[in-house]
Amino acid sequence: MSENGTLLSVENLSTHFFTQQGVVRAVQDVSFSVNKSRTFALVGESGCGKSITALSIMRLVPEPQGKIVAGKIIFNGANLLDLSERRMRTIRGNRIAMIFQEPMTSLNPVFTVGFQIAEAIRLHQNKSRAQAWELAEQMLHKVRIPDADQRVTEYPHQMSGGMRQRVMIAMAVSCEPTLLIADEPTTALDVTIQAQILDLLGELQKQNQMSILLITHDLGIVAERADNVAVMYASRIVEVADSRSLFEQPLHPYTQGLLKSRPRLGYTGKRLHTITGTVPEPLYFPAGCKFHPRCPVGCNDKRCQTVEPELRQVAPGRRVACWYAPGYEKPDDPKL
Amino acid sequence: MNSSVSNDNGFLLKVEDLKTWFPVKKGLLRRTVGFIRAVDGVSFTIRPGTTLGLVGESGCGKTTVARTIVRLIPATAGRVLFENSDLLMLDKRQLRGLRKNIGLIFQDPFGSLNPRLTVGNIIGEPLKLHKGITGAELTDRVAALLAKVGLSPDHINRYPHEFSGGQRQRIGIARALILEPKLVICDEPVSALDVSIQSQILNLLKDLQQEFNLTYLFIAHDLAVVQFSCDNVAVMYMGKILEYAPARELYRNPLHPYTRALMSAIPRVDTSQRGKREILHGEVPSALNPPSGCPFHPRCPLADDYCRKRSPPLEQKQGPETHLAGCWKC
Amino acid sequence: MPLLTRGFHLTDNTQKTVRPPKGVSLWQDGLRRLFRRPLAGICCVVILLYFALAAFIYIAEILHWGIGPTLWGQSTGPSYQPPCSENIFGTDIFGLSVFRKMLYGTKISITVALCASFISIAIGVPLGAIAGYFRGWVDEVIVWFYSTLSSIPYILLILAFAVVLRDKTIAGHKLSGITSVYLAIGLTSWVGICRLIRGEVIKHKEREYVLAAKSYGCTSSRIIFKHLLPNVFHIVIIDFSLRFVSFIHAEIILSFLGLGEADRPSWGAMINDARIELARGVWWQMVAATVAVFFISLALNIFGDALRDSLDPKLRVL
Repeated sequence: MSENGTLLSVENLSTHFFTQQGVVRAVQDVSFSVNKSRTFALVGESGCGKSITALSIMRLVPEPQGKIVAGKIIFNGANLLDLSERRMRTIRGNRIAMIFQEPMTSLNPVFTVGFQIAEAIRLHQNKSRAQAWELAEQMLHKVRIPDADQRVTEYPHQMSGGMRQRVMIAMAVSCEPTLLIADEPTTALDVTIQAQILDLLGELQKQNQMSILLITHDLGIVAERADNVAVMYASRIVEVADSRSLFEQPLHPYTQGLLKSRPRLGYTGKRLHTITGTVPEPLYFPAGCKFHPRCPVGCNDKRCQTVEPELRQVAPGRRVACWYAPGYEKPDDPKL
Repeated sequence: MNSSVSNDNGFLLKVEDLKTWFPVKKGLLRRTVGFIRAVDGVSFTIRPGTTLGLVGESGCGKTTVARTIVRLIPATAGRVLFENSDLLMLDKRQLRGLRKNIGLIFQDPFGSLNPRLTVGNIIGEPLKLHKGITGAELTDRVAALLAKVGLSPDHINRYPHEFSGGQRQRIGIARALILEPKLVICDEPVSALDVSIQSQILNLLKDLQQEFNLTYLFIAHDLAVVQFSCDNVAVMYMGKILEYAPARELYRNPLHPYTRALMSAIPRVDTSQRGKREILHGEVPSALNPPSGCPFHPRCPLADDYCRKRSPPLEQKQGPETHLAGCWKC
Repeated sequence: MPLLTRGFHLTDNTQKTVRPPKGVSLWQDGLRRLFRRPLAGICCVVILLYFALAAFIYIAEILHWGIGPTLWGQSTGPSYQPPCSENIFGTDIFGLSVFRKMLYGTKISITVALCASFISIAIGVPLGAIAGYFRGWVDEVIVWFYSTLSSIPYILLILAFAVVLRDKTIAGHKLSGITSVYLAIGLTSWVGICRLIRGEVIKHKEREYVLAAKSYGCTSSRIIFKHLLPNVFHIVIIDFSLRFVSFIHAEIILSFLGLGEADRPSWGAMINDARIELARGVWWQMVAATVAVFFISLALNIFGDALRDSLDPKLRVL
């Protein structure tokens, strides 16, 4: 099998929400691919659409308000959007698993953690109750929970946040999925626990040859743990690159702004760099490039104000959606 | 800044051996079986015009310290000296008077504003209460302050749910400043905000401090934020201060193993800054059953028998600046 | 130190004071969402019709417009006539139009339910707020009190109150008929709303905006009335609309049992009369009263549900 072939390919995905106030275009024309055994990070701030993208891949978008209106999600050769709900259920938790941000609310408070892991196992594998329980204990051990044999009968509220997140990870990898979607897995955790959890995910990835789609707003985590990155802003992807190139040479003004405005250890300036303005409301996206009102480069540019730039390849493995990125046609090009 | 500030060694706020213990009651007769030592002997001083950062992970007691200082939570022991009075000893009437000199900024921009009041009412209420100002003068003052924190005065009749998180935090800042306090306690003011908004708010807080000579007690869990915003930093763990130093000094030369582990755990973008990872194993111990001796010893890579037996005092380790650490090993 | 807030006026170029635009409060937002549903609008209209009818009859009585018989117990016409074109619901034993009686009964039911609601809210909300806010022994006492009260079977309690209040006077005003009915219902039915408010206040008082109010020196009473109650008041409104129905039913039961207005028609009295009449094959009083109760109950139930969906801030979607 090809070592790093494409496992998941999202093509032109669009997900909209139909509300009384209007259509909320949460995800528009998003395309990226995740390679086997690699970590792909989807970065953006709140409201940019990254979580909805993950839910769309799992086909867990809340209906009837939400709907995937366009695009393809090719997983192992098949388009997930064409599958019946029944087939999709055999994939969810089994081939593609997901972990969420808030472990307290993602675990059922009235069942023991052992029961919940065993339930996930029994749904997809043909195991008896005793075997599933045995496996659940092993999984807890695998995610490095101390005293796993005692912890397996505990309830979520008896555990700390870090432990609960490990339980979630145990549930997710119990069926050895090929793709793990991690939606802000460490945002609610302390930084020392965060490091432990991310190390654990890295280990599991190596052991199981698993790909990870990591969704986060923390650029530091992305720099340390991701192989490839896509930056999202206001429902669109604005930049795609491998991790190193993105941080050494960010091309999109939003990425540049984000990197410059992060408070970081060792910073000696008196003021932080800022991106002026606020993230636009999904119902009132600006025309043209969605970032232009806040962009130091393009806020007064006619083209940025009226025409939305496409995500174009400017170098092998690098795509940017910006009129000012290298490789784009200049404004006075007769082709336009 | 008026000159009535206490001149005892030139500090604005002095906390001495503050303790906040929550009793744990069990059984039919609700007997007290133990205490959760949320704050266990914390002392620090803040000079006027400076910012002290209290940093630590969740459960270390930093928020409890803030709330105990303003007596939103009853203290168990200790003194809090503010303007020559011990805040913990004041009666209700005196406390009300002194409360207008301390402003509080909260963490959650969505929960810290009353959703049924307009922005004008939210910001103006303290002024109405303490100075009896109403009507046009109240509106003008509120509008002026809105402009100062970066919002349009036109928003004065709007409701909190019509604003974004960053804007709501600005409203919270305006509310904290309307009475022109001397001390402002910022309880995780940017933790719930997006990265690109965090920098705006942090800059705003710095600007306001400079313009009006404010003094901040800045509470956060993010060391990078604290290092930027604060002059001095105290690192807390399980209710105690483990290390205290000027911000730049702390970054340059962290002494306590916990501080070193915290810094090491922060993910870095700049590859040149990534040193050897000092991973901390285990979890924060239960607050009901704190470890004997040094509270950090179960997770400390340097711990030995002595650390298990005796709790190290916070003392000056390296000159010439004040750099305190509570560790037997450094 | 330059003062933060001096030297600023909200004026436009012509030096006239401008009014900044008004925002949309949560109430307005809720009402907007409520009336987007056509069913809620219809139910609201039905409810208002009943209220309008009751008000009209009140005014007519006070101004002596003489729209109906002044004495209801006198024989005025052929008795027990079945429904016909003249009397839609036929006549009763005294020959009075059952339809007229049904309309008049609206006044009694609405009055009783409204007064009982106000009394129970006036008792239940402050008690619940105080219990929830102060906790400790205040909470224990109040909870003990209402737990005891609610352990007594509701009907017996109302009956006891109604019977006892029947012949008493308050400040020279005799507690006759419906006054004793709505006092009895109001004084015994506040437990539900008290519990609800107490629960909500306990939840809300740890919110940061309450802490903020405490931190700049708000007194407890100000916090309860200015900050907490407006945020839990939507519960009162929802509870009011649902409880209204049960008060109407309670009034009917009391009238049915012979308490209440003796010489005025009410739906309960009509149903009471129907007990005997049905044996004689006279069904129209029963049907008239039932129809009247049915529509107001249905409208209030649907409206109450719609209110809950629109007014609860947590259910606001996108």
